[in-house]
Amino acid sequence: MMHFLTQIINWINVPLNAAGKFLSIPVCSLPGWLSNTLISAVTGVVLLIIFKYTSNQKAIGRVRDNIKADMLALKLFKDSITVTLQSQGRVFKGAFQLLFHAVKPMLVMIIPVSLLLAQMGTWYQSRPLLPGEETVVTLRFNSDIEGPWPKVDIEPTTAVDVTSGPVRIFSKKEICWKIRALEGGYHRIIVQVGQRQIDKELAIGDGFMRISPERPRWHWADILLYPGEKPFGPDSVVQSISIEYPQRPSRTSGTDWWLGYFFVASLVFALIFKPFLKVRI
Amino acid sequence: MLVSQRCKNLKFLFLAIVIVLTIPTQAQAYIGPGAGFAVVGSFLVMFTALLSALLALFTWPMRYLIRAIRGRHAFARSRVKKFVILGLDGMDYAMTEKMLSEGKLPNLVKLRDQACFKPLATTIPTISPVAWSSFQTGSNPAKHNIFDFLTRDKRNYQPRLSSVDIRGPRRKITLGKYQFPLGKADIRLLRKGKPFWKTLGEHGIFSSVIRVPITFPPEKFHGVQLSGMCVPDLRGTQGMFSFYTTKKEDKVEHTGGENFYVTKNGNSVKAELIGSTNPLRKDNSILKCPFEVTIKDENSADIKIGRDSYTLEKDVYTNWIKVSFRAAPGIKVYGICKFLLLSAAPEFELYVTPINIDPEKPAMPISHPAIYSTYLAKRQGSFATLGLAEDSWALNEKVLIDNSFLHQCIETDQEREKMFFDALDKIKHGLCVCVFDGTDRIQHTFWRDIDEEHPANREQEQRPQRNIIEELYQRMDILVGKTLAKCKGKDTILMIISDHGFNTFRHGVDLNRWLEENGYLKVKDSQRNKKHLECVDWSKSRAFAIGLAGIFLNLKGREAQGIVEPGAEAAQLRNEIAKKLIELNDAEHGQRAIKQVYNAMEVYQGPYKNEAPDLIVGYNRGYRASWETAIGQVTDKIFHDNTKAWSGDHCIDHSLVPGVLFCNRAITTEHPRLMDIGPTVLDMFGVAVPRYMDGKPLAVTDVDGNKNRKKQAK
Repeated sequence: MMHFLTQIINWINVPLNAAGKFLSIPVCSLPGWLSNTLISAVTGVVLLIIFKYTSNQKAIGRVRDNIKADMLALKLFKDSITVTLQSQGRVFKGAFQLLFHAVKPMLVMIIPVSLLLAQMGTWYQSRPLLPGEETVVTLRFNSDIEGPWPKVDIEPTTAVDVTSGPVRIFSKKEICWKIRALEGGYHRIIVQVGQRQIDKELAIGDGFMRISPERPRWHWADILLYPGEKPFGPDSVVQSISIEYPQRPSRTSGTDWWLGYFFVASLVFALIFKPFLKVRI
Repeated sequence: MLVSQRCKNLKFLFLAIVIVLTIPTQAQAYIGPGAGFAVVGSFLVMFTALLSALLALFTWPMRYLIRAIRGRHAFARSRVKKFVILGLDGMDYAMTEKMLSEGKLPNLVKLRDQACFKPLATTIPTISPVAWSSFQTGSNPAKHNIFDFLTRDKRNYQPRLSSVDIRGPRRKITLGKYQFPLGKADIRLLRKGKPFWKTLGEHGIFSSVIRVPITFPPEKFHGVQLSGMCVPDLRGTQGMFSFYTTKKEDKVEHTGGENFYVTKNGNSVKAELIGSTNPLRKDNSILKCPFEVTIKDENSADIKIGRDSYTLEKDVYTNWIKVSFRAAPGIKVYGICKFLLLSAAPEFELYVTPINIDPEKPAMPISHPAIYSTYLAKRQGSFATLGLAEDSWALNEKVLIDNSFLHQCIETDQEREKMFFDALDKIKHGLCVCVFDGTDRIQHTFWRDIDEEHPANREQEQRPQRNIIEELYQRMDILVGKTLAKCKGKDTILMIISDHGFNTFRHGVDLNRWLEENGYLKVKDSQRNKKHLECVDWSKSRAFAIGLAGIFLNLKGREAQGIVEPGAEAAQLRNEIAKKLIELNDAEHGQRAIKQVYNAMEVYQGPYKNEAPDLIVGYNRGYRASWETAIGQVTDKIFHDNTKAWSGDHCIDHSLVPGVLFCNRAITTEHPRLMDIGPTVLDMFGVAVPRYMDGKPLAVTDVDGNKNRKKQAK
């Protein structure tokens, strides 16, 4: 079952990555706050429409009206403790009913939104390495590796210079290198593992570049979170390989903040368009 | 079935929670805004509710203290916790007594047998606005200034509503084709005096007053109120229906409604709903709301208003539909109406109710506090707000058939029942008053069913086998039963009252014609058919009639072109007209048309006595002021057969149409009056009855059998 799910997400990532690359046009050419705002706006409105058609609008409307009525009752009959407490109780009940009515659209939306956010994460979560900047590359073996580890080396390239390593951490089944970025652009680091070669994408440059911090293992959650590169197969001796990219410092499109900004902005746009699209939430 | 659905829902909820909670942590943040705003929304609701709960709880002792300091010792001397008055407008004593004796009203029979059933004396004249004003103020009409639905404008003799005066704001700023008012419209209640629930409020007792007539605009007091009779529609009238038809011959003038000739384009009909004049436009253009009907087949059509579409089915009312009229960019006026497709093909006929003020976003104040109507709309959905919610004019004008009108009445009563029961549930201590109008409207329009000789039945080959009035009384009995179930406590008094009774209305009396024939009124012959007394030669007229109540003298100093000297001349003229009028005989039917003529100077006591019609006419059974007299028209004969559906009435001598008084406690007062109810409520709550009230507290027996008067004496 899990294998099947992983395969599905792997397949879905192929067209999504292709579509995600189209994002490079606005994302690369616009300031981060603006591109994130635009994506949030479109997403907010689209999700609002999905919410409209996947939720029980009539029932939500009824619950909202009842909540409003009870809130007004609190004001109108404020001298009556009985009415106050009864209305409070009904308001809380209504709030839970709203949550209940949100479950179905939430379940419908969680998959496309997760896929979208994973794609957005490749742009906003980290910034690319600057030429001359150093970072760590980590290769992780499968947990069931037995016997002596195969010989592992990064092949020389003009894009990076291996400044130290490999360092083996047996307890974590990891091998690390420190590398220095040399030349701007997208590159591939080739790692020789025994008789086999594996590769990992590396982004060096300024501004916004689509970044894949990890080539993931064969697990649906990792493939969902790191969609940029093809995952290692389930029988691969290497589980994953990752590069520690620097954090992007921005309150609107920087590391971690971009997600919060996206959440708030898309919410605001959804609320703005709510009356025009006649959606009750 | 319901239980299994609930189980299914619970399982689904549980499964959803499990799925959400078991996916990786990062993904939880990925719920995204779509569901996020719902989650945020519900938490916001919870937060606000919690905050308001805390505020209410923490401030309650303080508010209690403030009330105590102000001397509002609510319920300190009260002998009841709750007083409920269920008003059934027009419930007739004789009819009720007959049905009680036949055992057709089991709940009312219980009340009669266990406690009280008496005739309730009404007012002079026996007209709802007058009677309910006396009910609220506990005084005679000369103290509350309401003598009829209509009165005349003393400046020009034009008819106007007696209870409310609506004027636009005085100051306006002009900007291009728009004008923006500085301040609110001036809406004045012309009923004087103080309602007894205001006095209760001054003593800290809370009241809920629903749809009592003559409460528009609503007044401030300690409680909640929804205005009743005289609330206008969005056009500012007392109810103007619209009738859209493709029949050319139907292009006639309707009373109380408007006819619109429309054309079919294929299977589509385009038309407009008509609103009020645009207060924001200098040219005062009419507000309009376009709509389009697409006919599907002989029995159905779709209607599109704005961006919303609704289905119309032949002979089935839509629910209340919200409509908006654009007054200026970004400013809309909201209303509600129901549509009834009368015919889709071959001819198209569509009836639209008067456009009621939307209770959720009222264009005028219709409740106190203003949010009360919003509260009710949110609680139970849209409801009729128009004072005369049941469109009897559409029935009179034969636009609606009997069943369609009856349906309107029943639905209005159902809406009323919901708000009444909500008030009963909310108010544990205090006063609940609610008036149901269906009893009045249905008796007005279906009395012909129980009066075989009524002129309205003449054209009918076969009269329908039905008794709508009996069914109405039985429905009200069920309502009483439900109300009784909610008033079980020993500390709760329930009174069921009506403002007047009912009788047949076979013939209309044209008082102006009688005045003309007797030399008191001079008509310019060339203008005889004009309405609103425009045909009268005022320089030669000593008396005139308008409305349903009686006759005004053309008194010098009071009327614009008065010729009768106040004092002796006026007094002599009153006596002379009264003496002659009481002799008025309907030769064709061999009956006296008038039972009594009342001199306002003698029957009224109070500061507004001079505003009353000088003579109040107490008609005999079967007679009433003619339709023409009501609107100030002078015809060429005195007696007119009434062939309209509006076949029953109560605007006759008060002795012929007493109301009813039921109570769940025995009342020993021999002749209770409507104006005694307010003082009784005050007395039961231990509040002193104000001296200006003419009514006296009724002798209500306490639970232990003592009369309230005795207890008070102790």
